[in-house]
Amino acid sequence: MLDVVFDAAEGITILFGQSGSGKTTTLRAIAGIITPDSGRISVADEVYFDSTNSANLSIQKRRVGYVFQDYALFPHMTAEQNVAYGIKENGAHGASRLERAREMLAAFKIDHVRHRFPQNMSGGEQQRTALARALASNPAIVLLDEPLSAVDAETRALLLDEVVQAQERVKVPFIYVTHNTTEAIRLGAQVVVLHHGNVKRAGPPSDVFNSLGTERS
Amino acid sequence: MIWEPLKLSFLVVTVSTVIIAALGLAVGLLLAKGRFHGQELLASFFTLPLVLPPTVSGYYLIVLLGRHGLIGGPIYNLTGWSVAFTWQAAVIAAVVLALPLMVLSARAAIESVNPQFEIASYTLGKSWLATFFFVTLPLARRGILAGIVLSFTRALGEFGATFMLAGNIPGKTQTMPLAIYEAVISGEDKRAQVLALILTGVSVVAVYLTSKLTKGAIRY
Repeated sequence: MLDVVFDAAEGITILFGQSGSGKTTTLRAIAGIITPDSGRISVADEVYFDSTNSANLSIQKRRVGYVFQDYALFPHMTAEQNVAYGIKENGAHGASRLERAREMLAAFKIDHVRHRFPQNMSGGEQQRTALARALASNPAIVLLDEPLSAVDAETRALLLDEVVQAQERVKVPFIYVTHNTTEAIRLGAQVVVLHHGNVKRAGPPSDVFNSLGTERS
Repeated sequence: MIWEPLKLSFLVVTVSTVIIAALGLAVGLLLAKGRFHGQELLASFFTLPLVLPPTVSGYYLIVLLGRHGLIGGPIYNLTGWSVAFTWQAAVIAAVVLALPLMVLSARAAIESVNPQFEIASYTLGKSWLATFFFVTLPLARRGILAGIVLSFTRALGEFGATFMLAGNIPGKTQTMPLAIYEAVISGEDKRAQVLALILTGVSVVAVYLTSKLTKGAIRY
């Protein structure tokens, strides 16, 4: 059971909570991987799901960029093939899908891995490729499911900056799932705290974490 | 001559392997991804020829497709033609008897692909069909290829059901296994030996290929 209501503003919204609090379930419902029992999901004025009039857009039609916890990069494709996979057509000036994929990789400063398969890339390179792939299909919203849980602390600090820069570049809302307070404070313009499938608290990180702290003491 | 059965076996096995690959992949996909009533019943039906004595499968094929069969009867009455005792009958027997190996391999291969990759493909806007061809199939390719090689070998060695439905007509339905049988009972030792060695050679290569394909397989 999940009862979550929140508005993701421009910028990065943090879905924060312990495991089992419903963070990933919420992301999967937004992406259309699972269907909620009731409620309403809309992104950029487009209704993805509305139980009152049985609206339910298919996964493919939802303009969602999804960065999975374990990246889910296609193991039989190189980095640039992974990124090119979701690009629908050739871009302006006759740039091919692969060329556009290369530009995406370059934006994340990993154009040197473009011919490498995921199993031959570092955790940070895989994470950047996954982010580039999610952004390449021009999503209206980007969902990130604990994307930094598998990388070391040093890489994590670098990648946090890159997530912020990526959001500023594409200017669509990011919803970022984490149970890490540092990540939440570093990234979040807004933090939504989930607890047992309910929104416990929402607001700027300083307010949310201060009040959580007071409660605990 | 050994050329007649060799040529015939080549024709029968080539045609049956193409049919088995396509049909087995479709059924394997249905069983791996489908969620419907009677799913395991259908799976059992497609596995049955693997455990039934080939002569029993052959018997059912005669009941269905013979000149007086449930399907073969009306066709014979209408056209005067029956598939029984033609090379096409040998193909049908080979397909029915070897299909289970392809269905089992294809199903297992498709089920071994982590569904996360398919979901990732959907979120990137790709249809179910595109996802199957660009993600599922390439990731399951080793198991599927192994299934093709195995069923090819099984089709090549098919004897019992072929004998029942297609008979043992030299130059028409006498494939290599049948030719070996005839050579032995008519005392043509040399001929039996050559044919047996050829079949053994092909089978050894096939088994080697299968184990290479499945052993090095990375499970995604």
